[in-house]
Parts: sequence; structure tokens; C-alpha cells
Amino acid sequence: MGRPSAFAQYKTLLAKDLRQEFRTREMLTSMGIYALLVIIVYGAALALTARGIDIANMGGGLLWVLIVFTSLLGLGRSFAHEKEQACMDGIMLVPLDRSVIFLAKATANILFMLAVEVITVPLFYFFFMSGQPVAATFFWVVAPLLVGTIGMAGIGTMLSTITMNTRSRDVMLAILFIPLIYPLLYACVTATTAAIAGTEFWTDFFVMPLVLACGYDVVMLLVCWVLYDFVVSA
Amino acid sequence: MVEKKVRIPEAGQWPDKLALPALAAGAVLTTVGFLMAFLFAAPVNGAALDTPELVNGVMVTHQQLISQKIFYFHMPVAIVSFVMLIFSAYYGIRFLTTREQRFDTCSRVAMELTLLFVIFTMVTGDLWTRFEWGVWWTWEPRLTTYLILMLIVIAYFVMRNSIDDPERRATYASVISLIAFVDVPICFMITRLIPSSVHPVIAREGGMTPDMAATVLVVMIGMMLVAFGLYRLRFREARLAERLQALKDQLED
Repeated sequence: MGRPSAFAQYKTLLAKDLRQEFRTREMLTSMGIYALLVIIVYGAALALTARGIDIANMGGGLLWVLIVFTSLLGLGRSFAHEKEQACMDGIMLVPLDRSVIFLAKATANILFMLAVEVITVPLFYFFFMSGQPVAATFFWVVAPLLVGTIGMAGIGTMLSTITMNTRSRDVMLAILFIPLIYPLLYACVTATTAAIAGTEFWTDFFVMPLVLACGYDVVMLLVCWVLYDFVVSA
Repeated sequence: MVEKKVRIPEAGQWPDKLALPALAAGAVLTTVGFLMAFLFAAPVNGAALDTPELVNGVMVTHQQLISQKIFYFHMPVAIVSFVMLIFSAYYGIRFLTTREQRFDTCSRVAMELTLLFVIFTMVTGDLWTRFEWGVWWTWEPRLTTYLILMLIVIAYFVMRNSIDDPERRATYASVISLIAFVDVPICFMITRLIPSSVHPVIAREGGMTPDMAATVLVVMIGMMLVAFGLYRLRFREARLAERLQALKDQLED
């Protein structure tokens, strides 16, 4: 019997992560509740000013703060059980290309983050933006959300593998994660804000940041993909 | 296949002989550059003012012309910080390909100097921000990307301190130095991609006058020499400490 193809290995690893999540619902519940709590904190922070300011201009930024902190929580957990039950050692015994592990883990993280976003974005709209007419371009926020999520999950998978073996791993993850996703975050917030505001020349602030974000995604994912072998074998 | 012998850097090799002369020459050149900035290089656009005046449609004061001298140190120091980060990433690659701890020491020392020069850049830049724009900080693209670079370099050292196993620490540190390296072209290109008035792309705006260019060049060479001298001295110190530790461990066994 020949060895299974890289794609088959990828599917198996991804299915393992998804099955574990469906059985424990550990990450999705904690991320979802955490996102709701951040929204409630926003409620307190904006309690007096929300009516006075134009929320459409701030919505993009607030939404991304929510996504960054929620995904930080999820990414920190993504290798925790692998470490606790020494599953990682088991995976490392299998003769497979290490970058397959990266791709499978990153895909799982993308899916979890997207699942949380599907819940939190409507919630965010419900709590803060329902008093205003929606711009016709609002649905274009899907593009920066997708690009941003892919990049953040890729970088985050790499970093959570690194921080899995450090002391005080959650703090380390935050310290490394936030500076490294910053360019991506900046571009995505700009594009999201442009789409939410939907003013006459919104594409000027939408297309270019989105292209830059895609470029950063590609560069970072390639770098992480190449370097993952070293990180996971160390 | 012939096994290629890897040359491993060690304290006491020939570059060490150059370290102190380089440091001295760097100090002299930087001092000369400092004097040139004030005595030789003309004020920007050749303006010499006693009262506020319009220069190229911008109101310029005497104070502004003096603070413009910061440029002669700000830019060379920033370039040196990029160069040191490139060295750190280079030694990171060398470590990952050879698994030789020595390259990790090189990478770490280069990163320490990156942090030093990044702090110099931040201090000179902040003086400029305060006197030119009247604020301590502004979220301008290059300032932001450079701040991010500084945070990544700091995170690099925080991460090093939280891992005990030397092999694993070296691998992770090399990987982070390579990822940090991705920020260099971003930081460098950002003023070209997102034009902002505050960080000029000098080549696009007509270049420097010969006296300005000469001053920048003198300071830049001086700073490079200082960086090289500090790098070798620090590397020697780190290596001697490592060897001492190894001897101590041997004695204990």
C-alpha cells in the first residue's frame, strides 16, 4: 500500500480538528461568549457618546478590535489540547510533510474564526448600527473580513505553535501576534470602514488597502509555510 | 557530495582587530558629521532666516531650520537599524540551515544592536515630531510601521527569555527574526505606497544638495562603523561568557 497523498493527510488532520470541536464545542463557545462580552464592554464604553458620534465611521475599527481579541483567545487554545494530551507527539511520528500540519491547522482556525464572525458581525450590527440606514456597499465588508481572517489565522497558527512551548504562553502569543498582524489590521480596518461608510469615493479607500492586505497575506503565509517545519520540529 | 566546511564566527578572529579602530573611526566621523550638519550643510532649500518667512510656500522659522539638522542623524541611524536587522535575519537563516548555536549568538547580538539603533531612531524622530509638528506622536504610516518593528524586536527578546531549551530558543528566535525582516521592506516602501507629506521620498523630491548628501554620507559611514565595532565587541563578550559557562559546567561534572 502506498503512502496517502498530502491532500488525504490534510483532510484527515482537518477532519480531526473539526470533529474534536464538534464534540467538545470548546473553542466556539468560549470565543462566542468572549465576543459577546467585548460587545457589552463597548456598550459601556460608548454608553454616553454613541448617540453623539457617527458610529458608521468607527464601526470598522470597533469590529476589528473585537475580531482581533476573539481570535487571540481562539488561537491560544488551538494547540493547548494538542500539548496537554501529547497529541502533537503522535502527529509528529507520522511520516508527513510538516507544512501539511500547518495548512490543516490554519484551515481549522480560519473556519472557527469565520464561524465566530458569522455570529458576531450581525450582533455588532444589532447592538450598535441598527439605528442607521445601511450603506449600499455594506456587504463588501465580507472581502476585508475574509482576507483579514485568512492572514490572522495563518500568522496565528505559526505563533501559537511557537508559544505553545514557552512560559506564560497566552501573554507571549499576544505580544507576538499583535505587532505581526498590524499591517494587515490597518489595511483591513481601512477597507471595512470605507465599505461601511459607503461614501461617494469609497472605492479609493477600499481597493488599495485590500490589495495590500492580500499581498501581506501571501507573503506571510509563504514565510510561515516555509518556516513551519523548523518550528514544529524544534 | 563533498561536505562543505562551515566557517563559524568566533571571538578573536580577524574582525576583532578592526573593532576598536572601527569604533574610534566611527566616533570621529559621527562627530565630524555633527559639526558638518551645523557648520557646512546649508539650511534646507538654502534658506537662512532671522524672522519667519515663506519658503516654497511654507512658513518657515529659524527654530525649524535648526531642528531640520535632526535629519542628518535620524536617517542614517534608521538605515543602520535596518542593516542590523538584515544581518540578524541572515544569521537566522544560517542557524536554521546549519543548526550551529554560534549563528544564533550572532543573530541575537545583531538584534540587540537593531534594538539600540531603533531606539536612537525613535528618540531623534520624536524630537523632530515634537518641534516640527507640535505633537509627541502621530499615526503616520511610517511612524506606525516603525513602531511595529520596534515592538517585534522587543517581543523577540521577551520570547527568548521565556524559553529554557537553547536549541528550541535558537530555532524560534531565528524564525521570529526572519518574520521581523518582512517588516523592513514594508517600512521602507510605505512612504512610496501611501504618500504622506511628512516623510519625504528624497529621490522623488529632487534629491539632496551635494553638501547635504556629503553630511548624510559622513554620518552614515560613521554610524555603520560604530555599529560594526559594537557588534564585534558585544559578540566577543557574549562568546567569552558562553565559553566561561561551558568551562564551569565541565568543572561541575
